[in-house]
Amino acid sequence: MTGADILLTALEREGVDTIFGYPGGANLSIYRELPRHPALKHILVRHEQGAAHMADGYARACGRPAVVFATSGPGALNLITGLATAFMDSVPMVAITGQVASDVVGRDAFQESDVIGCSQPVTKHNYLVTRPEEIPQAIHEAFHIATTGRPGPVLIDVCKDAQLKECDPVWPDTFDLPGYRPAYEADLSQVEQAAKALAEAERPVILAGHGVILSGAEAELQQLAETSGTPTGTTLLGVGAFPVSHPLALHMTGFMGTGWNNKAVQNADVLMMVGMRVDDRVTAKLSDWAPMAKTFIHIDIDRSEIGKNVRPHLEVVADARVALRALLPHVQPAPVSRQAWLTQIERWREEHPLKYVHSNGHLQPQDVMLEMYRRCADDAIVVADVGQNQIWAALWWNYARPGLFINSGGAGTMGFALPAAIGAKVARPDKAVWCVAGEGGFVMTAQELSVAVEQKLDINIVLLNNFSLGMVRQFQDDFYGGIRSESDLTVMPDFVKLADAYGLPGLLVERLDQVEDALEYAQHTKGPVLIDCRIDPEADVYPIVPLGAGLNDFKELPDEYA
Amino acid sequence: MSMPSTAPDEAQTAAPERLRVISVVVENKPGVLSKVSGMIRRRGFNIQGLSVGTTNRPNCSRMTITVDAGHAEVDQVEKQLDRVIEVVEIEDLTEQAKLIREMVLIKLEVQGERRREAMTLVERVGGRVIDQAPDRVLVELSGEQSGMDALLREFTPYGVLELARSGPVAMSMA
Repeated sequence: MTGADILLTALEREGVDTIFGYPGGANLSIYRELPRHPALKHILVRHEQGAAHMADGYARACGRPAVVFATSGPGALNLITGLATAFMDSVPMVAITGQVASDVVGRDAFQESDVIGCSQPVTKHNYLVTRPEEIPQAIHEAFHIATTGRPGPVLIDVCKDAQLKECDPVWPDTFDLPGYRPAYEADLSQVEQAAKALAEAERPVILAGHGVILSGAEAELQQLAETSGTPTGTTLLGVGAFPVSHPLALHMTGFMGTGWNNKAVQNADVLMMVGMRVDDRVTAKLSDWAPMAKTFIHIDIDRSEIGKNVRPHLEVVADARVALRALLPHVQPAPVSRQAWLTQIERWREEHPLKYVHSNGHLQPQDVMLEMYRRCADDAIVVADVGQNQIWAALWWNYARPGLFINSGGAGTMGFALPAAIGAKVARPDKAVWCVAGEGGFVMTAQELSVAVEQKLDINIVLLNNFSLGMVRQFQDDFYGGIRSESDLTVMPDFVKLADAYGLPGLLVERLDQVEDALEYAQHTKGPVLIDCRIDPEADVYPIVPLGAGLNDFKELPDEYA
Repeated sequence: MSMPSTAPDEAQTAAPERLRVISVVVENKPGVLSKVSGMIRRRGFNIQGLSVGTTNRPNCSRMTITVDAGHAEVDQVEKQLDRVIEVVEIEDLTEQAKLIREMVLIKLEVQGERRREAMTLVERVGGRVIDQAPDRVLVELSGEQSGMDALLREFTPYGVLELARSGPVAMSMA
């Protein structure tokens, strides 16, 4: 067998069904073999970054890793942003790049780049393969590493000659990874103390992150919250880990989190953090974060996250579901006195509701989101881009379950939404998929519209078009002296015509009364549909914590506009 | 509660306890040194000393690294290094009873009376003369790393032409 044949057979053996890829000089041997492996569905992207985001959206939507193919040099380098996006958000993925022949590696051959060096900081692990004999083990290990412990992307750089040469493959059933110890053996020694701390707390709060979703711990989380009577919020990536409409829900925390969530965090005496990194978007000013907390409890599968930003008093190094299952038998019902805390939070919820501008004559992005939610509720996957659209999509939709909201939370990669939505739809053809993006991020990867058309994917693309980089514009208004510098996107394509050029229907929505019909049309039209919503150019995200300030200082929409 | 300090001035001046001595056993594969040093750099730590060599285990090398934890919590150095897949074993020796030794080669340009003085110094500090030429002496020194700077200062008057240090080689005494 040639190395290329071995490689594709190895992918089949790992249960791969989908590859997002782009051929080029250094992976043509693989593409020559590909038609003889019909079990592997290959989706031809229009830019390699799109392939990485599609694989990312695929994995987030169904939990299984997808494979990315790219050629050497620029092809592989175009993956870097996509790999970094998946790495920051702990998304499994296996990227296979072609490399120049092993005897010219290091000689600056045509389309040669140091892909191992470039991808190292943005992958969980990577391999350089120079002989066909190495391929089975590398692929077997890559899937193991990508999907176990804290998931992440793994890259395999395969030299041209290793694809071409022949050998008899030896299919491994073991791993040669003496240094890889994902936290299977959970350190649960402090779960009893954690349960005790929750029981003795007067003002406990639980915050849940992406780890809860990745481990499928949402039922355990809800049981913990309900049994212990603990108000529970989520991070941006944790949205969906706890039902937003639950009586104990605090909704989203942090920099652009809800007022009642941030009030609760700032006044909590015991704070339990589950499957999250406690990054700067969660804490805002770190030294002002959760100042009343006497006990921090941190549960995470990655030992290096414990104490990285906040030093906890109690730590549990384990998969979130393993940890919560171990914790639950020790959890005590809330004391009667807990009611005071819940009442206080209820008061904050009433004092600091989510608000938006209703009556200035412009179409409001929140109205679009509310109408989308009214139509889809829990049946749709929402894939957001980065910026204001991301926060509106996170806050104005009552996500009841995990996996319904996909976004680039850690890396904040503009252009993520469209390819990720394509990946999500490929993974979950049974679900409605809505792509919510600003016009700025959308044009960064808009070429992937061809993929949606070619694959006949039912994706409803809702552009929240304000002819500006909205979040940048808001930051400039609020934090950079009101100087609007290079944030206007006055010259942009006519998106209805753009959709037409790509071969999909496009609709223009300028007023609230047009929203319903447009969404109705999109829902009942096969294939992708683009809706260009011309929203209020001054619409802002609220609440928001001023840069450098603590969570207590969150700013809300002034009442006179609401 | 205690939180990692974020004050930039504290990050600049490394208090002694921020220096960690870490012994790492790694798989002997291409690129591992770069992965380990890359992880250290990316996380804002700073390598002060590094030595690499084979061990009694096949396919494994030992790296002894002296790292300034910078503004991170000191245990983060070990935790972050543990994320590198090829890192098989990791031991923070900082708080343990340990030996940290270093070998130094030093080339002196000395003649006549100065040369005799230099030779006496070499003998007094337990060094060895490895090679001699009429105007040069090549000396090997080894000893506890903590005393090495002071030791080397004694050689300054004798015309140090070249100096090569092995970096720390450490082992716990347990």
